[in-house]
Order: sequence, then C-alpha cells, then structure tokens
Amino acid sequence: MALVKARKIDRAKPGPVAEGGDPLALLEDANPACRRRAAHALGERPDAVPALSARLAREEDPSVRESLLTALVRTGTAAAAAALVPHLGSEDVGLRNGVIESLQQMPAAVVMPEVAPLLTAADSDLRIFAAQLVGKLPHPDRLALLAGVIDRDPHVNVCLSAVEALMDGGDPAALPVVERLGGRFPDDPFVAFSVDAARRLFSGA
Amino acid sequence: MSLPSDKGPSNKGPSGKGDATGLSAADYDAFCRFLRERTGLSFTEAKRYFVDRRVTERMAAVGVEHVRQYLNLLRFQASGEELQLLVNRMTVNETYFFREMYQLDCLVNAALDEVVSGRQPGSRVRIWSAGCATGEEPYSIAITLLERWSRVDDFEIELYASDIDSHVLARAREGIYEQRSLQAMPRDLVAKYFTRLDDQSWQIMEELRDSIDFSLVNIADPQQMANFRGIDVIFCRNLLIYFDDLGRREAASMFYDALSPNGFICLGHSESMSRMSSLFVPRRFPDAILYQKPQS
Repeated sequence: MALVKARKIDRAKPGPVAEGGDPLALLEDANPACRRRAAHALGERPDAVPALSARLAREEDPSVRESLLTALVRTGTAAAAAALVPHLGSEDVGLRNGVIESLQQMPAAVVMPEVAPLLTAADSDLRIFAAQLVGKLPHPDRLALLAGVIDRDPHVNVCLSAVEALMDGGDPAALPVVERLGGRFPDDPFVAFSVDAARRLFSGA
Repeated sequence: MSLPSDKGPSNKGPSGKGDATGLSAADYDAFCRFLRERTGLSFTEAKRYFVDRRVTERMAAVGVEHVRQYLNLLRFQASGEELQLLVNRMTVNETYFFREMYQLDCLVNAALDEVVSGRQPGSRVRIWSAGCATGEEPYSIAITLLERWSRVDDFEIELYASDIDSHVLARAREGIYEQRSLQAMPRDLVAKYFTRLDDQSWQIMEELRDSIDFSLVNIADPQQMANFRGIDVIFCRNLLIYFDDLGRREAASMFYDALSPNGFICLGHSESMSRMSSLFVPRRFPDAILYQKPQS
C-alpha cells in the first residue's frame, strides 16, 4: 500500500523567535519566514506598532507584508489604525488594498476617527477610498458621514462611492440621502442609474 | 470540526433571564419567515437556541444592536454578503464520506500530479485534513488516492488529520460509521474497505485506520501549527467559517507556513481564500478551484 504511517512531523526546528530572539530585531532579518514569525509575535504588542509600520513601508515580500498587516490588525489600537492610514495613498495597489482590508477588520471605534478626516482630503482618490472604508465600518456615524459626502463633495465619483457604500449598508434610511444626489447632478446618467438602483433595492422591487 | 450541540432546549441568554438576542416572538417569526423565503432554510421554535446564537454572533460581527436593523441589512444589502455569511453559519452539514467529491476528483486528476512533478519516485507526499471531525474526510482522501491516483504506488504518502475536539478524534480513530455517513460511497468500495459490524454500523479497515496520523490541534495556536511543515495539500473545508475575519486571516498565514512551495489548500464550496488573505493564488482546475502557495 502506498499510504505510509505518517511520521510524527518532527517538531519544526524552533525559529529564532521561538528561541527567544528579539522579534523587533528579527523584523529586519534577511529570511522572509523569520520576518513573518517576528511580525506574528509582535501582534500582541502595542509598543511594536512603529516598528511594524516602518517595516511595512519598505517590505517587498507579499507574505511578510500580509503578516505585518495582520499583526497591526491584531494590535487593534488607534495607533495601529493611524499607522495604516497613510498607506492608503500608496501607489502600490497591493499594499493599498491590504490596508483597506486591514482597517475594515479593526474596531470601528478606533478606525473611524482616523479615516473620517480623509473624506475631505484634497485627493479625490483618497476620498473614494475613505468613503468605501466608512461604508464598511459598523459605526453610528456612518450614515451621517456618507450623507455629508453626497451632499457636499464636488466630485461625482466620490459621491457615487458613498452611494455604493450606503447601498451595501442595507439601511433603507439611506434612500432619501441617495435621492438628493439626483438633484445635485441632474444630467449625470450614472447618478440617475444609481438613484434608480437604490430605489429598487430599498423598495424590494 | 465538531459543531455545537443544538439539542439544548433553553432559550435563556447569558443572564438566564431572556433570549440571547432579545428576539421577541414576532421578531423570531419574521426572521424565520425571511430566511425561509430567501434561502429555503426552515427553523421552528425548537431551533430557537440555535438560531439565536448564530444571529447574536453575526449581529456582533457587523455591529448591529437591533434585530430589525439586522433584518434590514440582510434584506437590502446590495452585495448579499451578510446573508451568505449568516447562511454559512446556519447550515449545519454533518460530514459524510466523499462529500464534495469534485475536490477529491481535482486532487487525483490534477493537483497531485503537479505536486509531484520533478520529485523522485519514493519521495514523500504529505496531505493534511485540518478539522477532520469524525474522520470521513481523511478516510475519503485515502480511499480516493488508493482507487484513483495513477501514481499512488510511486510515492510514500503521509496522511495527517487533526481536530480541536478530542471526542471526535477518538471516533475518527475508531472508524465506525453508520449508513448515513456511507450514503455517497459506492457499495463495492464499502465492501472493500469496511467491515460490517451489525445492521447499523461499519468499521473502516485497520490498515487504513493505522495509516492516518490523527492529532489534537488547535489551528489558532501558532505553537501547535509550527509542528506542521512541508505539507503538500491541506484540506480545510468548512472549518474557517467558524472563525472571525482576523482569525481566518491568521489561520491562512499559518497554513501558508505549513505548506511546501506550490502546495495547495482546499476550502469548502462556500469559502473563498481571496476574502481571507492575499497570500495564495487561486488555481482553476477542471474539477475545482484550489489555492496555491506561490513558489517564492
């Protein structure tokens, strides 16, 4: 028979972290596996946020980057959220998406104060990312913040991001807010389409 | 993974004074009616504890305090994501042999050939069933390999199986199953690999029982997970649905470290690694989608 009794996998040779190495120092190790373990070990240490964030800014290995992001999510502090937010402006799509996903997984109460100010950032792309993020945060200010975007943002694409976020929130109270956008951009076919879609969604039609 | 018992008749919440979610009778009825209309899932008053528990869990996960708000989310969310997540939690699928067979087809028709490409005959192939519950999955893998992988005799195949529940592991090691577990298995294979014990039960042959290493493992524990390295294929089906987003992400990271480069992870049909982690590359095979650890 080709099946052999599985040998107890030898306890993996303990890595430097397990041996008591300093995970903060090992974040800079040349071996990506070692950096991943170091990041994992630092996920419970709020004091490690600056080091994790600094490493994230220059980390090129996707697997280590994922571990760094996961560690910051695990930390779950306002400092960790604040450390992630600047990366929303990164030109690296992978990093940016990782940051968006990570912020969504952190407590809304610590993320919202960091992200809400971006709804009025000068860069419209940043405002779009912020609207998407705010829409995903289970926070009592979500509707009011996105309504503010719809009522005031000069860029129609930012407003449409806010509409999409509201529609995904599933709250029928968002419909009057969405309908107001039609008044702001009466000649924009995408706005008309979105408002119609919201009416259909919230009426259950 | 074993599932929480649904037999408890109590509707008491943690305080012992009321329903776990505070669902009124009318809310509970509305909730069940909605689920039945949208999904076909039907829950009676007898399942109230089961429903309450899962609804409470999901309401906490999305930060909703009132049942009506949560119902609105389920009803109106454009993506339908939350409804899918709730349904995943509501569907208790007791496992059985050859469940989700298309993934086993994928294993023997494509994935393993790729895994052993370039390996010397006689080298090891390691497969791990994580969350093996009462053993149907790892035994199904073993039988499928023996019956259908053309290169099965060329390699030494090690099968690992783990669960967090020591009781189900004991049953897995014992390998005794009732008819319900064997319903999807051809009779000739039952005859070949099982011994009939009585009218109701069959025991899987000793040789197969002895070939699998069953162990108690909490996949959320990095120390325990560090014992698994060099794995070629991980089956982790319908296990991570019991984790929250961060837990899934951390588990994915530990599976990544456990896998060999180019190794595969196989999730349940309703699960998607791309919603958990960016570490793996989805691979579309004719029979199924698997997730692969990149070479470097």
